[in-house]
Amino acid sequence: MATNKKGGISKPALILGGLTLVLLVLVIIFFTGGGGEKVKRFVDSNVPKTAETAGAKALTKTVTLFFIADDDLLHKETREITAGPTEADEAERALTELIRGSEEGLISPLPPGTKVRQVFIARDGLATVDFSRDIADSFSYGSTSELAAVYSVVNTLVFNFKPVKKVVLLVEGAERETLGGHVDLSRAFFPDYSLVAR
Amino acid sequence: MQIFRIKRPALIAAVLAIAAVGLAFPGPVAAAPAQDQALRTVVIDPGHGGLESGAKGKFGNLEKDITLAVSLKLKALIEKDMGFEVVLTRDRDVDVSIENRSAIANNRKAGLFISIHANGSVQRKAGGSETFFLSLNATDEETRRLAYLENNSSALQSRIDPSSDSDLMMILWDMAQNAYIKQSSRLAELVQAELDAMLGTRNRGIKQAPFKILTGVACPAILVEAAFISNPDEEQKLASDAFQTKVAEAIFRGLALFLKRGE
Ligand SMILES: [Zn+2]
Repeated sequence: MATNKKGGISKPALILGGLTLVLLVLVIIFFTGGGGEKVKRFVDSNVPKTAETAGAKALTKTVTLFFIADDDLLHKETREITAGPTEADEAERALTELIRGSEEGLISPLPPGTKVRQVFIARDGLATVDFSRDIADSFSYGSTSELAAVYSVVNTLVFNFKPVKKVVLLVEGAERETLGGHVDLSRAFFPDYSLVAR
Repeated sequence: MQIFRIKRPALIAAVLAIAAVGLAFPGPVAAAPAQDQALRTVVIDPGHGGLESGAKGKFGNLEKDITLAVSLKLKALIEKDMGFEVVLTRDRDVDVSIENRSAIANNRKAGLFISIHANGSVQRKAGGSETFFLSLNATDEETRRLAYLENNSSALQSRIDPSSDSDLMMILWDMAQNAYIKQSSRLAELVQAELDAMLGTRNRGIKQAPFKILTGVACPAILVEAAFISNPDEEQKLASDAFQTKVAEAIFRGLALFLKRGE
């Protein structure tokens, strides 16, 4: 009994110690597990669905670009770009491809020679894209071509990059009234798929 | 920023006062469309000008020249047949900033605002005529504020103090056009029907777009895109005096119908 009692006294301490240890382990698993999951998700989003491959090649991502066709609407065209490391990097590459033009005979709504200076994606879903001055100076925009230029950019970013909800366009790092006298650049744009062919 | 902080209570007070008026007298406020109160001035805005030539045609025609020619014709028609004062945002080939254009309209207490353009596309085959009114890319917060103020347009307008600080002004003018969206849409519809009937160009319909020129105007406002200067056939039409006259007449007819049905 006495030993039992003695054992009884030390038993709660043992249980407490055991519980603490279990808790500690759980906490460690929780944090490292959480971190691991984050990393996994990040990698997942960068792995293109079509990639079956193949050691040496860098990871690619399939993006959808918006070009103008004969019917004067925006049409989708897919393109492989290099994946990662950040979605802002991928966004920059997607827009560079948009400027570079169609491989299927469609027309890019953006002036050739335009450079994507920077893409920044904020936590609230606002993507800010900074273009070189060519985007405004190299075209004499009408309303239709100006709307196409703006929304090809906005649609391309929102369509391909989940975190992006709306887009602001800058020219040479500064806010600008319009590209060519029509579309108001002072507000963020939500995508407009009514300009896209069905 | 400091000025803004001081004025903010004034803005809140104004909004509350407007809401109070709206709640207390829902009948009279709702029944008096702003445009009928005193349509004395129509503002016509010839798109582009000066160094900013707008869209360019293959044969060298510039949008800014065509918009001015059409605007002058429309001004003459309105002055001849209607009793309104017509103000042009430019009557020569000069640069006028978009902000100054809407400021002209608001300072002259415009009852209607018509911006005139000729369209351009990178697709040369694109053609036809269309009429726009404003779509705001409103954020959630803005949407809430706009919904709150939407039915109090005349009260809102009378409470804008021209001497107040520019941040506050910008917020209010930003929202100004939204109070007139329904009237703008009706004007666009009537003008577009006449363009379709008179020009023989493809009917591209009425559309909404976030055009800078329309955002700051505190009255019903539309932007007319008469044919495509980027389309060689339509460019040649646009350059002709006869076609320019037709565009002006079509807009004039749409305007007349709008005013007739408004009474
Ligand atoms: Zn224009």
